Amino acid sequence: MITLAHIRITPSETWLNGKVVSNSNINGIYREFIGDYPKFFKMDSLCKLGFIAAELILKGQTPELKENASIILFNRNGSLITDRNYQMTIADDHFFPSPALFVYTLANIVTGEIAIRHKIYGESSFYVLPHQDDEMINDVVNKAYLTSNPSFILTGWVDYDDDDNYVADIKLVTK
Amino acid sequence: MADKVFVTGAGIISALGIGKEATLEALLNGESGIGKIPHIQTEHEEFPVGEVALSNAEMSRMLNVGYPIDGLRTVLMGIIAAKEAVESAGLTEKELRKAAFISGTTVGGMDKTERHFKTVFDSNVETDDSLELKYNDCGYSTELIADNIGKFNLITTTSTACSSAANAIIFGANLIKAGVTDIAVVGGSEALTKFHLNGFNTLMILDKKNCRPFDKERMGINLGEGAAYIILESENSVKARGASILGELRGYANTCDAFHQTATSKNGEGAYLAMRKAMDMAHLCPQDIDYINAHGTGTPNNDETELAAMQRIWDYELPKFSSTKAFTGHTTSASGSIEAVICLLALQHGFLPKNLGWHNPMKEDAIPVIDDVDNSNVKNIINNSFGFGGNDSTLIFSKFIKENG
Amino acid sequence: MENLILQLKNQIIEVLNLEDMTAEDIDAEAPLFGDGLGLDSIDALELIVLLEREYGIKLSNPAEGKQIFKSISSIAYFVSKNRKK
Repeated sequence: MITLAHIRITPSETWLNGKVVSNSNINGIYREFIGDYPKFFKMDSLCKLGFIAAELILKGQTPELKENASIILFNRNGSLITDRNYQMTIADDHFFPSPALFVYTLANIVTGEIAIRHKIYGESSFYVLPHQDDEMINDVVNKAYLTSNPSFILTGWVDYDDDDNYVADIKLVTK
Repeated sequence: MADKVFVTGAGIISALGIGKEATLEALLNGESGIGKIPHIQTEHEEFPVGEVALSNAEMSRMLNVGYPIDGLRTVLMGIIAAKEAVESAGLTEKELRKAAFISGTTVGGMDKTERHFKTVFDSNVETDDSLELKYNDCGYSTELIADNIGKFNLITTTSTACSSAANAIIFGANLIKAGVTDIAVVGGSEALTKFHLNGFNTLMILDKKNCRPFDKERMGINLGEGAAYIILESENSVKARGASILGELRGYANTCDAFHQTATSKNGEGAYLAMRKAMDMAHLCPQDIDYINAHGTGTPNNDETELAAMQRIWDYELPKFSSTKAFTGHTTSASGSIEAVICLLALQHGFLPKNLGWHNPMKEDAIPVIDDVDNSNVKNIINNSFGFGGNDSTLIFSKFIKENG
Repeated sequence: MENLILQLKNQIIEVLNLEDMTAEDIDAEAPLFGDGLGLDSIDALELIVLLEREYGIKLSNPAEGKQIFKSISSIAYFVSKNRKK
């Protein structure tokens, strides 16, 4: 398994291939580096985090390679923060369930958002693990996903606890 | 490394009943499990659903389990189905120790969470209820199911919306092919909750009448619940154990539609690619497919685009196809494995499940299975499961014929 | 009507998370879906919730939304005729 690129985003620092490229929060990074995708602001926090990580790490990849790529992500909290926000819209005394929130109560929507933006038609999956177990993640990706020969795999950890605690630790890997 | 992946056990619980026999009987008799809401606490009584007939208390007594499992419907149903699968494959405790357990769920323990959410949210004191909110975590319900079945070598949860269980099956098959494990217990479990009943309602894709997949007048989904697991096994392990084979998982694929969070692309790109790639893996051509168990949710969007994808492959000569969601309701994250068990029953017993509730064609030449037909020769079945996020999976189950195998 | 239009613009900016956009940026006659503001089907569903929550108007079929949600003025016209609060 060869690592082509690596990105790590935390509330205080964003590292791309071993260098700090930004100290902004998620919305700040969007404004600094992206800025042309208004749908970004409709996403929930988990999707925003995965989206900007993908945006930065996929720079320079051709559409041909992206078309046959896979997206395999992992986290601990699923879509918990949005689950809570949506749950509040179906509480008894304020009952107006929000369709836009409900859509994001599925953790794998983040793989969908990345695929939509980059036109990635390969495999996509989302796993919930008790903690960030890089050995297991590498093992799963290597044995279960690299075998089908994608052009590359965007894979790693993307977890959003709250606005002060989140991390995206994502790699592009190939055989 | 293993080339082939066989199915050697299966277990199921749904609105059709508990176990394979009850399920088979309901399918053969054309008796839908969809009805009014007896268990879930909601004001939305206008929506028919496919509920499992047993209450949590009844399932807990049946399994002889107590707190905390007695309040967790996803876990209770999961244990019942996984037990049946493991027993039907004749797996021992020792064999399970080397096996993988992979389960798909999205809602997890949400049924319990939502009964306590209000009281917990309104107070800052840590109570039993607030501690119970941790069952919301999808991974936790998988571990509880696994704990009640055996000590596994590897336990994982897939969470890819309505294709979760299908992707658990794919993941298990990949692990066997990679030589990581010889045996995998794979499937999914999902309980009905107010959480997703209201959610699907806000998306305005629930039908107030019984659902009518692939009908011109279809109005949407009836939600359902249930669990199903199958046992996947390598050829070596099958031989060593002398296990009997229910079918071969001959091909599979997962693709991304890359179009929209919930809607599917007009020409069904993701569905098309998934079916194509699965047939490639199985070394089958379109003419070899005898039956498609469609995702067929009954929403205007899904059925139109799934049919479009099928017609891109088969043109006007579609194989026999039906959606069994008018029997079970749409069991969301569990639907992939529930329908996999239905496909395995069809292979074994030589019948094709009917598409209940169908009256009017969406297009000419697009008529699903509605009558009893002789299908004793059915050999290769496609099972489609598509999820929000554009996550599209196809499984191909084939009849195992000893002479050629 | 002017007030209602302004109120609707602000409510829509809020519920649809139209970041970096103010009421002045939205032309009341411009199409909301497709080329205009680029809204999609989930946005339409969110607008249906908005009509119910703020104006007591219940739509039961998403297809009804097609005509109503053409532009801010068409929504304002519909709300002024049908509002219950």
